[in-house]
Amino acid sequence: MKVEFLHQPDSAIAHIQMDPQEEIVAEAGSMVAMSGFIQASTTLRQGKGGGVFGGLKRVLAGESLFLSVFRSGGGSGEIYLAPKLMGDIVSYQLSGIELVVQSTGYMASTSGVDIDLGFQGLKSIFSGESIFWLTVSGSGLVLLSAFGGIYEIEVKGEYVVDTGHIVAFERTLDFSITKAGSSWIGAFLGGEGLVARFRGHGRLFCQTHNPGAFGQRVGSRLPARS
Amino acid sequence: MKYEIRYKPAFATAFLTLGPGESMTAEAGAMASMDGQLSMTTQLSGGLIQALLRKFLGGESLFVNVFKNQTSQPLQVVLTQPTVGDIEVLELKSGDEICFQPGAYIAHTTGIKMGVQWAGFASWFAGEGLFKLKLGGPGMVLFGAYGGVNKRRVNGELVVDNGHLVAYSPNIRMSIGLSGGVFGSITSGEGFINRLSGTGVIYLQSRSIDGLVRFLRPKVR
Repeated sequence: MKVEFLHQPDSAIAHIQMDPQEEIVAEAGSMVAMSGFIQASTTLRQGKGGGVFGGLKRVLAGESLFLSVFRSGGGSGEIYLAPKLMGDIVSYQLSGIELVVQSTGYMASTSGVDIDLGFQGLKSIFSGESIFWLTVSGSGLVLLSAFGGIYEIEVKGEYVVDTGHIVAFERTLDFSITKAGSSWIGAFLGGEGLVARFRGHGRLFCQTHNPGAFGQRVGSRLPARS
Repeated sequence: MKYEIRYKPAFATAFLTLGPGESMTAEAGAMASMDGQLSMTTQLSGGLIQALLRKFLGGESLFVNVFKNQTSQPLQVVLTQPTVGDIEVLELKSGDEICFQPGAYIAHTTGIKMGVQWAGFASWFAGEGLFKLKLGGPGMVLFGAYGGVNKRRVNGELVVDNGHLVAYSPNIRMSIGLSGGVFGSITSGEGFINRLSGTGVIYLQSRSIDGLVRFLRPKVR
């Protein structure tokens, strides 16, 4: 399998060359085009993170209930995948370390990658963002998408991220939801609200723009849905 | 302070490096991420009265966040804006001043004075408040736009669509009105036009949120 990204960073799209007998799992709705003989099926994935319960958990996480599976079968073909929002895509090679993905940051993965809903405990409820995170494990490639550019931070020690700007982070990092400044009053009045404070050593992917903030800027001026 | 604006122009984001002892002030909510040792405190922006004027009569936030490096090594903070688009950096000399339309301001260095400027009742009717945010040098100011940013000198008169105006010199007079009467404005889809006069600099954004809202509104069901 060969993955290349076109039109980075503002309108990134993934172009994937599939060899025979390969499989790609992607967020439903992300397929733009593919070779005619590639078999597409919708799955409530079996195994870990699969089945009806797994699907329901993904809905809670803000992802679609269904994942699409694309199989190349006997031939070699190609497929294009793109996220909904404008922005960049990065790939992450799983190698023993679990990756925690903010629910909207997941776009696709190769077979051999397990997707599970990772409850990060009560602490993420207060973050004001999606309550749920996906835990991605196993071996293979994960494609992450973002609103805006994606910048990677090699965390050594401590790093603070606004919860709306987190795309994914390695499980080797510990995080706590906390206030960004020194006072609790400031945390709410200052507009930063709560942030994630990461500790330890690992890779962290951030997005330059916060989809919620942009949505609010525009959505607050749209008529209420009847 | 060192800065780099990356992902220009569509997703411009400011990566700032604060040296030991340096500090800077940013709009509430502008921080995307930062080094853990950087200290952040929330303050009223430029005194209580001015902050209240900004908030209730200018449509800006009441509070700003001050980032301070109290360590002995350089630390990074990443600042961004809610809308997609470009970010510009202005180096203001002592005596230089610039006014911002609501939502454009992102951050400034120490030395910059933050205040308000009377914008007039027409601005109020256009939904932009009685007061505009005014920043004075010396120092650096960051502001953002929806789309690309055009800088233009005004000498005499210039008519602009008010939704595209981002920043302007304080000595430029503004006169906000409807283009071609009430009926013409509603049917043509042009929003409020702003008749600028005087001598100074203005910054225009290549897209307007008003335009996006006008496009989306009929599609919401």
